[in-house]
Amino acid sequence: MIGLEIHAQITVLESKLFCSCRGNYRDLRPNTNICEICCGLPGTLPIINKKAIEYSTMTSIALGCKVPDKIMFYRKNYFYPDLPKNFQITQYNVYGFSSIGVEGLFELDDSKKIRISRIQLEEDPGRIIYLEGGMNVRNSALIDYNRAGVALIEIVTEPDFTNPKEVRLFLNKLSLTLEHLGVCNTLMEGSVRCDVNVSMKGGNKVEIKNINSFKEVEKAINYEITRQTSMYNRNIKIESETRHWDDKKKITYKSRSKEEEHDYRYFPEPDIPIIVLGDNFVSNLKVHMPELPNQRFDRFVSKYKLSEHTSIILINDKKLADFFESTLKIYFSPVEIANFLITEFKSMIEDDSESTDYLRNMKVKPEHIAELVKMIEGNKISRTTAKDILVKIFESGLLPSEVVNNTNSFKIADEKILTDAVESVFDTEKSAVEDAKTNHEAINFLLGKVMKFTNGRADPKIAMRLINNKLKKPNA
Amino acid sequence: MISKDELEYLAQISKINLSEDEAKKFPEQLDKTIEYIDILEELASDDLNVLDLQEVKFDELRDDVVRMSEELRITKNLTEDGFLRGPKMK
Amino acid sequence: MSSLHDLLAHEVVEGIKEGLFTAEEYVSSLIKTIEDVESKLNSFITLDTEGALSSAKLIDRKIKENEDIGYLGGVAVGIKDNISTKDIRTTCASKILEDYVPSYDATVIRNLKQNGAIILGKLNLDEFGMGSTTEYSRYYPTHNPWNLDYVPGGSSGGCGAAVAAGECTVSLGSDTGGSIRCPASFCSVVGLKPTYGRVSRYGLISYANSLEQIGPICRSVKDIVLIMNIISGKDNSDNTSMSSSPITINNKLDKFDIAIVKELINAGDHGVTGTIYSTSDKFKEIGCTCDEISIKNLHYALPSYYTLASAEASSNLARYDNIRYGFDLPIEEYKWDTYFSNVRKNFGEEVKRRILIGSYVLSSGYYSKYYLKARSLRSLLKLELLKLFKKYDLLIGPTMPILPFKFGEKIDDPIKMYLVDINTVIANLAGIPAISLPIGFSNGLPIGLQMMAAPFEEQKLIDVSYALENTINIQRRPNLT
Repeated sequence: MIGLEIHAQITVLESKLFCSCRGNYRDLRPNTNICEICCGLPGTLPIINKKAIEYSTMTSIALGCKVPDKIMFYRKNYFYPDLPKNFQITQYNVYGFSSIGVEGLFELDDSKKIRISRIQLEEDPGRIIYLEGGMNVRNSALIDYNRAGVALIEIVTEPDFTNPKEVRLFLNKLSLTLEHLGVCNTLMEGSVRCDVNVSMKGGNKVEIKNINSFKEVEKAINYEITRQTSMYNRNIKIESETRHWDDKKKITYKSRSKEEEHDYRYFPEPDIPIIVLGDNFVSNLKVHMPELPNQRFDRFVSKYKLSEHTSIILINDKKLADFFESTLKIYFSPVEIANFLITEFKSMIEDDSESTDYLRNMKVKPEHIAELVKMIEGNKISRTTAKDILVKIFESGLLPSEVVNNTNSFKIADEKILTDAVESVFDTEKSAVEDAKTNHEAINFLLGKVMKFTNGRADPKIAMRLINNKLKKPNA
Repeated sequence: MISKDELEYLAQISKINLSEDEAKKFPEQLDKTIEYIDILEELASDDLNVLDLQEVKFDELRDDVVRMSEELRITKNLTEDGFLRGPKMK
Repeated sequence: MSSLHDLLAHEVVEGIKEGLFTAEEYVSSLIKTIEDVESKLNSFITLDTEGALSSAKLIDRKIKENEDIGYLGGVAVGIKDNISTKDIRTTCASKILEDYVPSYDATVIRNLKQNGAIILGKLNLDEFGMGSTTEYSRYYPTHNPWNLDYVPGGSSGGCGAAVAAGECTVSLGSDTGGSIRCPASFCSVVGLKPTYGRVSRYGLISYANSLEQIGPICRSVKDIVLIMNIISGKDNSDNTSMSSSPITINNKLDKFDIAIVKELINAGDHGVTGTIYSTSDKFKEIGCTCDEISIKNLHYALPSYYTLASAEASSNLARYDNIRYGFDLPIEEYKWDTYFSNVRKNFGEEVKRRILIGSYVLSSGYYSKYYLKARSLRSLLKLELLKLFKKYDLLIGPTMPILPFKFGEKIDDPIKMYLVDINTVIANLAGIPAISLPIGFSNGLPIGLQMMAAPFEEQKLIDVSYALENTINIQRRPNLT
């Protein structure tokens, strides 16, 4: 039985949860993103961020939770140098007051759903840097409060997972959901943390803390299952304990710190009154909140008539799906564009998908793909040619038509395409065709028209041959 | 009766060192206070309906806007890089 | 000119505006008084006479140039030392904040300054507001100007003494369980605890956030109104603050229905009770009715108060670990948790006791036994009072059950000390406004009348107080020479 406790920063916020300092504390000089409130100076009071409540509610809705009409905050009291007030303002489900989301359900796949126990809104502590060596610094720890007070959403699941693969699938889907909501950019350093509980065969629960990215979670669980299984096989009792994940050594080790033994002495936060969300709060949010992955999937299938297979690939890559829809705005041919993107296009950009700049710093833009697909559909170029053009666009950023005009190798040699071009010209230039039967100059005129029709790309030799052949036919 | 252990536990979770004198006289003094507040037990449990709660409407809350001030908030024990030096962790 | 320090605040404002005297002359008069009596009283922890004089000179310059000096132009205010004042040391009378200089002003301080007030200094209190006599100040106790062997009340003892003695014209204190009204009563001055949420708590160094308010301690009702209208108001920096209408001084008094709370009278000293009853006769004289009523849940009020206040205090004072601010203690040779415990060893006894009790009542075995019961009592009490306020405009009784007492009389027995608050905690628990008005003396020691009203009905308190003030003729200024 495996359960998860995830902390995700609400990275979309401009400011912190209880003060107006910047929400993004990364790459700033230590202790410069602070104010009297987030440093816990005497006499200061927390001022809650409205948007944080909106985003945590959206997350609750997306995870199928019940959202209460009134919410309350609690103090969790414990001492630690990274906690400016030596208490954390958080939420607690007790005595009739619930946190921002409870009793949710998240669909893993067609056969399994994961129960979400609760979702709560709380503040992040600061950071302690532990130093390895050096005489001057060995006697102290370094503290940076830039992160203190940043808004966190805590998501706690029931122990419904039965294997690490399910956990991985869940975390992927959760990241995708958070990405769709815009709540948390899971690629930002430190934006997500995950604690895991693992218990086997009805034994004691072991908590693993300090897993700093979703990728490490599966590894940590696998290690722990192996550890517990081997203990079980040797008839050693598994103690209920807290362990830490060491991502360098790839092991879990028993935590020596006593912080877990706290009595947190929760009580309602007196400086924040009960917040009345109002009757229409949730329904309004549902209307205005960003589209969830499932909703987008349904829309791609029903509105754009994409296959389920294609839709799934697009949905799982939000930036690609966004690119797709931007392209549609320029040239509406969903099936063709989707297929092109998930085959030719995707194969060229595969390596880059982990980077936060994915799809952003490319030279290829929706306009390029739109024009390219339009050309394919108009029979102006073949698919193979299109792929080659794409390579050139990746390098140069030029539009497809520009690429074609600059390079001879994109001359159209395809007889079918040229035949269509010739037919088209013959249809429109009937008088010239008559002339051409007797006058050679008129033939050149027709050739000129064919060149114009193909944007100058027709292979003139082949085009001339086709024109002459057609002229010779009795029904020309 | 607050035992010596209970007092030590409370002092530990409150992170307060007691002087010898305080350790001697606090158990009795704290006991008297606890005895005094024990009268609250007379209140029936169904009265646990907490009605004195202040409410605020969602719309009245703070907008998500950054406002930084230039004043330095921490002035003691800073390193060259700007970290705050605290006592060692282990 | 030698009695400038005797003037009331509204007289100072008018005087300076009309050029009867300069702000500098007035402030100098106060400084002279301080020089004469401060060694006997010890009202102040920090004095900023230089700053006050230069602010006064600035006011005088503005007057010369016909600039607006604000509703409190030139008035010198003493500030209880648990309210943040930018660049002026703020200690809460604790050793733990010995070197703490705030980098921001409390909202009320900003409001005062914007209206031309001059900050004279920081006034003594019981450490972190916990106490009723200033004997728990970690610096020194303040003495009652009416009799130096007696306590001035607390926790805003410095405020009561300084205002009574003329060291400052008005002061701002704070009231968690009676800390404005008790010293007002013991020092024969007027003190008002506003409705919870009427005045912003931003910058008030928290002792018990759900119970406390900042409020004025002055020598007249008119001055109370002047200060209240400046410091009241909804503040974006305090989510628990609410907007309210300004208070006015009315010369005509409506007919009010007043009730004496039996339990408060019965608990009192004979000298106190007698004076209260004779005052209630005055109500009938000015056209009000005066009944006697009972508050059913009153005997649970004090235990409930101590439970809630200690619980909140134990959490509010957790931040004092000397890492970000505080006093001088090197970090070497300590591990973090032993450092914290060693730092916090420097709290005084009473603060330590309340933190320990607070941790006790919040701990998992006891939360519903004490904390939740205290909260539910609070609701019951509030409901009961609101029902009474439908019938009566004001509920009254003695502010303190006893006369001021000598130093050391109650300090060895915490419960004895707690019982001093028995009349005042009701208003904090219910969040209602309450005023203490000086109404007489017994054996040369001051007696105060407490009046309570429904939430946001400060106007009624002021109306009756103003009328009473004009009819009660008692000695106003102590003889300190």
